[in-house]
Amino acid sequence: MATKEEVLQYIKTLAEQKIITKEDIDTAYEAGSGVKTNIVLNKKLSIANILYYIGGGIVFLGISILIYQNWSTFNFVTKVLATLGSGIVAYFIGLLFSRDERTETASPAFYLIFALVAPIGLYVVFDNAGFDVGSYGLQSLISGIVFSACLLSYIILRKNIFALFSIIFGTWLFFSLTSFIVNDSPYLNDSDFYQYRIFLTGLSYILLGYEFSKSERAPLSGFLYGFGILGFLGAALSLGGWKPEQNIFWELIFPVLVFGTLFLSVSIKSKAFLTWGTLFLMAYILKITSEYFSSGLGWPLALVIAGLSMIGVGYMSISIKNKYLSSPS
Amino acid sequence: MEIIKKNITLVLGMSIPILMILFVAGSIYLPGLFVKPPSINFLYSSVDSGDYYCGDIQQYSVQNGQLIKNEIKHPEKGIYMCDEPKLFIQDVVKNESKQISFDEAKKLNLDNSVMSSDGFEVVYGSRGEGFFPFFFYSSTNYDTRYLKGHNISKKLNIQLNGVYSYSFHFIGWIKN
Repeated sequence: MATKEEVLQYIKTLAEQKIITKEDIDTAYEAGSGVKTNIVLNKKLSIANILYYIGGGIVFLGISILIYQNWSTFNFVTKVLATLGSGIVAYFIGLLFSRDERTETASPAFYLIFALVAPIGLYVVFDNAGFDVGSYGLQSLISGIVFSACLLSYIILRKNIFALFSIIFGTWLFFSLTSFIVNDSPYLNDSDFYQYRIFLTGLSYILLGYEFSKSERAPLSGFLYGFGILGFLGAALSLGGWKPEQNIFWELIFPVLVFGTLFLSVSIKSKAFLTWGTLFLMAYILKITSEYFSSGLGWPLALVIAGLSMIGVGYMSISIKNKYLSSPS
Repeated sequence: MEIIKKNITLVLGMSIPILMILFVAGSIYLPGLFVKPPSINFLYSSVDSGDYYCGDIQQYSVQNGQLIKNEIKHPEKGIYMCDEPKLFIQDVVKNESKQISFDEAKKLNLDNSVMSSDGFEVVYGSRGEGFFPFFFYSSTNYDTRYLKGHNISKKLNIQLNGVYSYSFHFIGWIKN
């Protein structure tokens, strides 16, 4: 069995001799790994796609304003038809469009309308049935319904938009269900509980983003990395608290997390990791300086040290970006 | 097993929220299975008034283990028509309140410590409010009272008569 280096060297030789093409290699890779790389991984959002999504968003906005302005005049049936009805119709239009290659690119815009409008439709239904629409119990139920619908659609249709909304509605379900379980108990229900949930959601997003980056769901990894690292580091910094009620554990562990993020930004080639890692390192320097050194050294001197440290962090960040994350041109 | 190994980051990413939900549910419900539930009843007062001033008045207190009625001097300015607060015994096992008269309450042997002898105290509930993704608002819920201790809490069904929940005043634990 030839080693990886030998195989790569052999491919290089064959390519130089124009015996094989890039497409041949991609086809062989896809056949072996079962992952379509070239077609989907490198797929960028075209202007047309962006317009489709903007159109979907505007339709959602229109339905929302229509319902808001006519809430007292519309009867229950009209409200349901305008929200849940239009959401379901949009879903089926998306299904029809996805069956034809010529219209397939427009189908996610209709799925987007469905995903945005369906929760409002469910709210209208439950509100009319006399439920308390603000309660965590009902939020859990509605998020559970739309999460299940999107997850099921994703499993059947394998569309990235359903993966995205499964994650969004899954997050909503996670937050509302945990709040529902805790209810108004004097234990757990404080801001720290919220921070821990954000921290773990961020970690979960990062792991999902990493997994997706290796598959046909790669377009989602940027979103997941960006929001994941923001939640992860933001919650960790917030959990550190402020003197005299600071949490030493989180204050000490935070630099480890930030440098871990900066280190990972290189290995997973994520600009979101580098950007947020740099910003949070700066925020941490400012926080620690003002918390512990402003009284001893004096505020002006502490500011000078913080400023110099931030210049150093900025320089390091740009160096990492130029050296490891910029695409060669 | 091979599939899990192959998709370990996906499995981890999806199990974190599920484990957190199980952890939260466990931390709320499990301690109750291992801790001896509260058993000491307490006496409290509640005034039937919508006026904040009336609800805030501490009409009763405990002196040498006995209930006494304090003389309330209303401020000269303003007219205050406050009803006399009602007295209730909270049966913590049945989780229900029973109204009693002042004369009956005077016969009780009371302990006005914050913590009962079995390690529980009466506290306000807390309330998290908001809509996804803004669940961060957390505050004291003045409409609820809990018995809290030994890592468990039990919601109390108490009589809050006034518009303001400040009408509730804990007086003391009933000693046998």
